[in-house]
Amino acid sequence: MSVSAPTVPRRMSEGRLVAGAFGVCALVAAVAASTFTAQQAVPGIPMPGPLVSVGLPIVRVLLDLSAVAVVGLSLVAKLLGFNDPERTEPVMLRVRPLAVIAAWAWAICALLTIVFQTAELNPGGVPTFGMIADYVESVGTGQGLLFSAACALAAAGIGLMAVRFGEKVPAELRVIVALFGLLPIPVTGHAVNSVWHDPIMVSMEIHVMGAAAWAGGMVATAVFVAPHPHLLAVALPRFSRIATVCVFMVAGSGLITGLGTMALTPGVTLPGALLTSHYGVLVLVKTALVAALVPLAAHIRFRLIPAIRAGRATALVGWAAAEVGVMGLAYGVAVAITRSSIA
Amino acid sequence: MRRLITVLLLALAAAWVAQPAAQAHNVLVGSDPKDGATLDAAPSRVTLVFDQAVRQGYAQVGVTGADGSSWADGSAEVAAERVSVRVKPLPAGGAYVVGYRILSADGHPVTGKITFTLSPGAAGAPATGQAPPRQAAKDAAAAEAAAGGGAGMAVVWIVGALLLLAAGTAVALRRSRPALAAQAQPASGPPPAPEGVQGSGPRPVPEDGPGSGTRPTTEDLPDVEARPTTADLPDAGTHPAAEDLSSSEGRQPEAGAGRRA
Repeated sequence: MSVSAPTVPRRMSEGRLVAGAFGVCALVAAVAASTFTAQQAVPGIPMPGPLVSVGLPIVRVLLDLSAVAVVGLSLVAKLLGFNDPERTEPVMLRVRPLAVIAAWAWAICALLTIVFQTAELNPGGVPTFGMIADYVESVGTGQGLLFSAACALAAAGIGLMAVRFGEKVPAELRVIVALFGLLPIPVTGHAVNSVWHDPIMVSMEIHVMGAAAWAGGMVATAVFVAPHPHLLAVALPRFSRIATVCVFMVAGSGLITGLGTMALTPGVTLPGALLTSHYGVLVLVKTALVAALVPLAAHIRFRLIPAIRAGRATALVGWAAAEVGVMGLAYGVAVAITRSSIA
Repeated sequence: MRRLITVLLLALAAAWVAQPAAQAHNVLVGSDPKDGATLDAAPSRVTLVFDQAVRQGYAQVGVTGADGSSWADGSAEVAAERVSVRVKPLPAGGAYVVGYRILSADGHPVTGKITFTLSPGAAGAPATGQAPPRQAAKDAAAAEAAAGGGAGMAVVWIVGALLLLAAGTAVALRRSRPALAAQAQPASGPPPAPEGVQGSGPRPVPEDGPGSGTRPTTEDLPDVEARPTTADLPDAGTHPAAEDLSSSEGRQPEAGAGRRA
């Protein structure tokens, strides 16, 4: 025990490394992929300035990151369980306020995204309130983001009650509200105009929720639970079961959505368009990222978890940082893929 | 774990219920003049045709000459899937770029361009000016309102939200009921063994509650020999009771740890 006590602060900074890897990878990938897919300037048409063209993907990825954080932090209570409050309460006392802060960040980013998207449609000026109201009224994306912001505020309110009343506020409610706030996000992405519209939308919903639970749970576990070996031995196997479901959900729904959207878009022939269109290239990139995630996740699942259950020290944080970094890249690419032209 | 799956299933059900009315991404499928065409007569109007209706407002079309001069006359007009703009009389023998930026039905700006060339001998007067395709403008606006469904979509969302929150509350109440029941009869048993820390938690394990409550004497008995409540029983009856006690004593710390919840 006297040996492990001084290592806790070091492990805290390792936790920051994991969270930082996720955030930095997502930001870098969002800006890079958005630059790759940027629509080239067209003569005679005013285009939005660099503040909007760079700022919009950044705000959008921050929205995703904070939503993932809310989902992940809400999941921590479920992962830790409620039977050992003497050990779990110190962790939850740090997690609950952070969930509230992340929910507020989510709401603010959603509202900022509305402003930036209005500015993108009205190049050459600061959008006025009238423009923003017009945008929200006429474009489904604006309504979806507004609804997401409202859900985020609801999550913040419930989170505040959890801060005040502890685990009397059901953890499931927190998870549900956070996941529900994710539902409108696919409205901001692409869709197809066919009878397959509804299945593809549901597939996108599954994709968004699965990805948030997977990435958020992974980050939250690595940051907040990993410094406590006893709790880790309980929480990580639980999370691993969720993650195993999420892998298949995310990969399957992602392929269905990406390939289906391309196949149903007029003027797109499938095998070739994977390489020629921006959307196709990004689908390939995301597939490669998921393929890179699988061995990392499998290593944690099949090599590290038995050791953690047995109480041995493992290099979990390093592996988690690698996995979470790849997830961050995938999230950044996702920001670009929702906005790039399919054809 | 089972509850989390319930949560996910509920969320998926909400995904079915609250079908977001997202529209598709517009794609340019044709134009007049065609992309890359060489015309013998200057057009009076440029029309772009998309695969589906373009949103009213936000549409911009520009016609630019090789020297950067602008030839569009007025702003773009949207009629269902057609976006058109009138063009000033174009000088013959030049290359022109038609740039466009429309708001796609799914809310994304779509940018692109087509080019056409006027042959040197082209008639300066507009010979191929088609009738402006504005006949369907009103229908398009109505169809867009029906598809985008501003108020309808909000109602769907709100109903979905209420359904989901109601379901979440029901799950939460179902979970808190065993805890309440356990709190209603807290004195039915002595405090649990020191290893069993779950007694101080706000959420005792439901499966564990009645079991620990019906074992009042185990903590009072340091070992099987000192059992006072079974001392007056006949010898033949003590053996099963002793086995019960010893086995329950052996089980209690494990159950108290509650790791398998």
